[in-house]
Amino acid sequence: MTRKRFHGLKKVKVRASWNKYNLYNLTRLRAPPTHRNHYQEKWTAKSMSRAYHGEYIREKQWQRMFRSRIPAVVPMDHRYLAENDGSELAAGRGSGREKPLNSEPAKSAKNQIPFMHMTYAPLERRLDMAVWRALFASSARQARQFVTHGMVKVNGQKMPYAGYLLNPGDMFQVEVDRVLYATGAPKTPEQIRKGRKIHRAQRLANQKASEKRLARKRDVAAGRTNLASTGSQLGIDEIRKQRKLDLKALQNQAETILHDKRSRVGAKRKIQIRAFMREVKDTMKTVNRRSEKELDAELASLVSKLETIRNHAADAAAEKAEKEESESQKEELSPEEQKKLREALVLSRENPVDESKPYATPWRPRPFMSAFAFIPRYLEVNHNICAAVYLRHPVARPGFAEVPSPFPAEIQQLAYTWYLRRR
Amino acid sequence: MPPPLRSPSVIPSTSCAKQLRKTAQSRSFSSTPQRDQRATRARRQFFRWLGTQGQNFLNPLPNSTNYLSAYNAAGQLKRVVEAASDRAERSRQSGGTSNSNDNNESGGGNSNGELPPETVRDLRPFPMNPAFVSQPVLSEEMREKIWERIMKKGQSVREVSASLGVEMSRIGAVVRLMEIEKEWQRIGKPLARPYAKAVMSMLPQTHYRPDDTNPRPHESINDLPLHAATGAQIFYPTSESRHFTRTDAARIFDDNLLPADDRVPHPELTLMHKDFKAGMPQEQILARQRAREEAEAKRKQAALDKRKKDREEVQIVDNGRWHFRFTDINVDEAGKDGRGYRGVGWRYGVPSMDRSRGAIKIPTRVE
Repeated sequence: MTRKRFHGLKKVKVRASWNKYNLYNLTRLRAPPTHRNHYQEKWTAKSMSRAYHGEYIREKQWQRMFRSRIPAVVPMDHRYLAENDGSELAAGRGSGREKPLNSEPAKSAKNQIPFMHMTYAPLERRLDMAVWRALFASSARQARQFVTHGMVKVNGQKMPYAGYLLNPGDMFQVEVDRVLYATGAPKTPEQIRKGRKIHRAQRLANQKASEKRLARKRDVAAGRTNLASTGSQLGIDEIRKQRKLDLKALQNQAETILHDKRSRVGAKRKIQIRAFMREVKDTMKTVNRRSEKELDAELASLVSKLETIRNHAADAAAEKAEKEESESQKEELSPEEQKKLREALVLSRENPVDESKPYATPWRPRPFMSAFAFIPRYLEVNHNICAAVYLRHPVARPGFAEVPSPFPAEIQQLAYTWYLRRR
Repeated sequence: MPPPLRSPSVIPSTSCAKQLRKTAQSRSFSSTPQRDQRATRARRQFFRWLGTQGQNFLNPLPNSTNYLSAYNAAGQLKRVVEAASDRAERSRQSGGTSNSNDNNESGGGNSNGELPPETVRDLRPFPMNPAFVSQPVLSEEMREKIWERIMKKGQSVREVSASLGVEMSRIGAVVRLMEIEKEWQRIGKPLARPYAKAVMSMLPQTHYRPDDTNPRPHESINDLPLHAATGAQIFYPTSESRHFTRTDAARIFDDNLLPADDRVPHPELTLMHKDFKAGMPQEQILARQRAREEAEAKRKQAALDKRKKDREEVQIVDNGRWHFRFTDINVDEAGKDGRGYRGVGWRYGVPSMDRSRGAIKIPTRVE
């Protein structure tokens, strides 16, 4: 028997993932048919909602986690609290000052607390769920894998249990590379092959290096030592090395634009890119002969050129303007322009082309991510370091529930009653 | 008996040969699912959706949220369509001069090329669930400012929380995370900048607005948790002349329940507003608040000292392998029935679960 599809089209089941099939199913999600008996309604509601909320958690496990009590809060106005002591609510009761409670039914309905949307709130406390909600993984199952593979730390300690229940104030961190892999666009098969080649070469180089190190150790043991080069010389050498690496990165980026299968590159742009690559190559040849300042200026102009190439500034007029501008830049860069160029350089450094990574480089978000990108209020996330703090348990408040769930109140209420009967 | 003439085994037709080839192809011994799927109607519809409405999510809006409920059934941005119809309406009312080029670009933005701002309707990631809204997160600048106020200017968490409208626990978390970020920058560990930028551009944000005299708070900071004891509806007969306050009501719900004034996270705001209503000058209000804060700090310090003293009272014997800790215990704490949770030692009829099988070994807290 073949395994059932996780994202099927035949039966609409919304899953906890950023998959495009899932997004399509989310648009097709409808309330289940009524005019059936209560048991059938409850069963459907339970199975629909459990397909999203921790479907990989055993039913018995979830039943043990389920709580009938639902946490909720009411925002209080400190001015109201200061000006009234509560007696105004009872004043005049029974002597004609009483107002009917439901004078504005529409308004009161809007301010009701959606308790039933909190049915699955206990699941949000799990570590894997929190990792997914913080946008560190593309599905709850992937988040669980990250946890079990030891990629997640809680308060600085490795925590390999996906079922760890976070306490308010717990901080969790995920390995940055894993997050980039989970949320980044995937590689093409060609890029995968290239990456494999790089890994193989690296392995070989590592072997050679270790052999060399061993040999050197033997030399040192024999009493031979090398003269260390002077500090200032080392500085300029290192800078040159860095600039060379930057140039190499630029070349790689240009190459990726040239061979990008997603967007066709026109003949004119191809010529432009090739000219650019030639220029980079020429600069690379003369790196060792130039001063640091010259190199920086050259690099900055190259980066700006690459940016224009990337931004489809292909039409002749723009090109002309660009040429003039770049010429003027070569002569004299105003401090503002220099700052801009430095920023562009930093941008290309922090998002480089690196075929050895398991995701497409330069990094870009995976397709269909934006439809699922939200962060619930019970988490405070810092995406720069891929870490988040679990502030408190999710609560319901007038008009809002903090548990992200694709289902309407009726389905959640039925699911709640399903689990309630076992208590 | 001769075989029937039209039998495929006798006269192999092209269709039969095709079928044979097909069966030979499908006879694979791999357990992985086949890549080429049948083109069912559901799949055709899915790919049609991907090519039309799905394109909105494949190529998301730059610097804007991009949720399902922001689009109508035809895959157009609802807020853009509404803005265009509004403009058409207005132009019709004002003079009715030709404005056909405005209607043509209903797919893009308004006349100056900018998207109209999102409403709550556009911030619902799940169209069926109106109770869940993608609420704004703190922008990077705001986080930096919070860190600066706490770590550089030395303001209290309470103060910053009240002035910026951010929960106190969130302030603490922001500072903690920022400290780590700065540490990473100091040691040269690369940050996930492209990822952070992409995510922040997809989320609604609360920006830092120092010029705004009355900025919108990030979240409600004075949340009163619903106490279980207040769930019951109580009919409490009392005299009409009685001045029945929140404190009295709380006492009727539960003997130990405090009134709402004391259970909210920022009781000092209420007290300060009371002082303000009493007509006190600003300096006096602040001085009284400072006095309250000092008293609170003193109380906290006393509690800390007591805990420290208690810890020091535990006698520790170190034998190289274990730290034996000796504390005084009270036998009576087991209670009358011997089942009190503070009771120690083996008691008749009380199971000791220390070594039972199947007990969950996942830690419950990480210090």
